[in-house]
Amino acid sequence: MSGETQPENSADGAPADELIHKIGKMTRMLHESMRELGLDKEIEKAAEAIPDARDRLSYVAAMTEQAAERSLNAIDQAQPLQERMESGAEKLDQRWEEWFAAPVELDDAKELVKDTREFLRDVPTQTKATNAQLLEIMMAQDFQDLTGQVIKKMMDVIREIEQQLVQVLIDTAPESHNKEELQQLADERSRKPQKGGDELLNGPQIKPEGTDVVNNQDQVDDLLDSLGF
Amino acid sequence: MADKNMSILVVDDFPTMRRIVRSLLKELGFNNVDEAEDGQEALNKLRAGGFEFVVSDWNMPNLDGLSMLKEIRQDDALSELPVLMVTAEAKKENIIAAAQAGANGYVVKPFTAATLEEKLDKIFEKLGK
Repeated sequence: MSGETQPENSADGAPADELIHKIGKMTRMLHESMRELGLDKEIEKAAEAIPDARDRLSYVAAMTEQAAERSLNAIDQAQPLQERMESGAEKLDQRWEEWFAAPVELDDAKELVKDTREFLRDVPTQTKATNAQLLEIMMAQDFQDLTGQVIKKMMDVIREIEQQLVQVLIDTAPESHNKEELQQLADERSRKPQKGGDELLNGPQIKPEGTDVVNNQDQVDDLLDSLGF
Repeated sequence: MADKNMSILVVDDFPTMRRIVRSLLKELGFNNVDEAEDGQEALNKLRAGGFEFVVSDWNMPNLDGLSMLKEIRQDDALSELPVLMVTAEAKKENIIAAAQAGANGYVVKPFTAATLEEKLDKIFEKLGK
């Protein structure tokens, strides 16, 4: 229409800044109502749970990275062992091939036999070392259990947040919506059997501070010793 | 020297962990190993008979490790069964609760192969096996 930047009139003709004033008042009223209903506390709780969820994710990331490094380091150790054994065996085999093609002096054969025996005697040492690295790789997979437990706990936290937020939406929904229906849906979705006595089911400690937490097996042993077990 | 043919039950809701413990037991010479994925399944298997040792996690669905341990200690047929807890639960109150409930040992995750072997040996020693 015109190139003016004059604010347009609303339907009942009141100027725009009066409209803005009305919106401001409504927002304040909404805020007050939420406070009276205690809903702002719910949102606060939900917001507080988010750093906890972040910590858990960070723990999961750290554990998976650690496991990957451990495995890769073990592989770095084991591969040279295998390669050395392989090339050692090939060299010896080559020398035997040559010997069989043209059987030579006893002294030369003696040397080959000595070297071969030495190689054979060394094999168990090499395979044990490789096996130890394989064991290390296997142990490194323990992250899966720990991260799995933390992720499970995080699902609970997220479910809790979702519940709070949905509840806020329901409680503030305009009357035209079928509140009861919405509440029922929300209750169904949030149904999770609450076990009593969950205080001992905390899963892995993602933050090893605190005086009521043990950080390693030695501390466990010390505590048991002090109790006389 | 512990009987390498000893029948052992490994209880944990994570299959990876059951597999790791089974492999470690195999490294130590124990091949007679069965598995359960929660305390209830474990109790059912134990009551069916034949097990001489239990290695169990704590935090599991249906029936957790501590409750299972308490049931074992209360069952006439199972009360003497050695139970080694292997768990991520690392609060002091956990360790105390397990000891008071009659656990024979407590290994906290993550653990090393050496630690598992050491704790197993310690239990065997005490039981005179």
